[in-house]
Amino acid sequence: MTENPSQRLARIAALESRLGLRLADRLSEGAEKLPHDVTERLRFARGVALSRAPRPATQVEVYGSGKGLALGGSWWRPVASVLQVLALAAGFFLIGHLHSQAQISAAAEIDAALLSDDLPPEAYNDPGFVEFLKTSAD
Amino acid sequence: MAFEKELSDFLRSVEKRAFKRAVYSVRDEDAALDIVQDAMIKLAENYADRPSAEWPPLFQRILANATMDWFRRQKVRGSLFKNFSDFESASDDADYDFLETLEALAGNTATESASDAHSREQVLSMIEAAIGELPGRQREAFLLRYWEELDVAETAAAMGCSEGSVKTHCSRAVHALAKALKAKGIVP
Repeated sequence: MTENPSQRLARIAALESRLGLRLADRLSEGAEKLPHDVTERLRFARGVALSRAPRPATQVEVYGSGKGLALGGSWWRPVASVLQVLALAAGFFLIGHLHSQAQISAAAEIDAALLSDDLPPEAYNDPGFVEFLKTSAD
Repeated sequence: MAFEKELSDFLRSVEKRAFKRAVYSVRDEDAALDIVQDAMIKLAENYADRPSAEWPPLFQRILANATMDWFRRQKVRGSLFKNFSDFESASDDADYDFLETLEALAGNTATESASDAHSREQVLSMIEAAIGELPGRQREAFLLRYWEELDVAETAAAMGCSEGSVKTHCSRAVHALAKALKAKGIVP
């Protein structure tokens, strides 16, 4: 019985696959017998690659049992955000308050030092000083 | 972490074959290790977030590109041409009967393959040498199809060519291997 061309091609393809798979099996046997230093280098390379992989966004979710008690990211996230903003605003306010207090104290110290110091007579020729005296008298 | 374990398991499953494939191409173990490491890092950095089912063809494509990059860096044009030539004919021997050889090699049983003349290691060494002698594209197609067990479409995607080209490369590779092994009296 003679085979037609398509049957012959199919038979060749089947033989190619069988031989290809058999050769691949032999290659696999060889790949499993790599020297220790090579397998160690591959293990190291794998570790380096894993360390470079971007981590997927993590979600810390702690689920309670039973009635759907979940701390898993629904209500507490906006509350935590608001608390952070409030803490930041309070911090700014406190810093501003302390800063203005320090400026007032410094100005008062300078005024006290000027007023308690001996006044030179030529100071009364200074129009700015005269103006200061008028303002203070008011 | 499940994600990390999944990626680690995948890399572990492909790393040895990837190393051997790189060795067949560049014939230098140190360079092959560097190529495999580069490919692993690129997969992890750029494609770790893809579904794991997409990793095999992506990794093979990256590995092939990393190998090409190595050749480019070496700037050994002669080697490049030799390894990646596709211009060889399927056969230049009119007396050679593909079908007869394929039937003889593919039809042999395991007991017959335990040749008295060659140890299994020697047979493996000769098979690897024959694979190393294949033109680069044929070798890639053969290894991706039969060793990495990608289907024709995945192999075509990994190699950046048509499915028809994959079939042609694979067929030529198997015939060339059959011819080379028969000439050495090797039964795989």
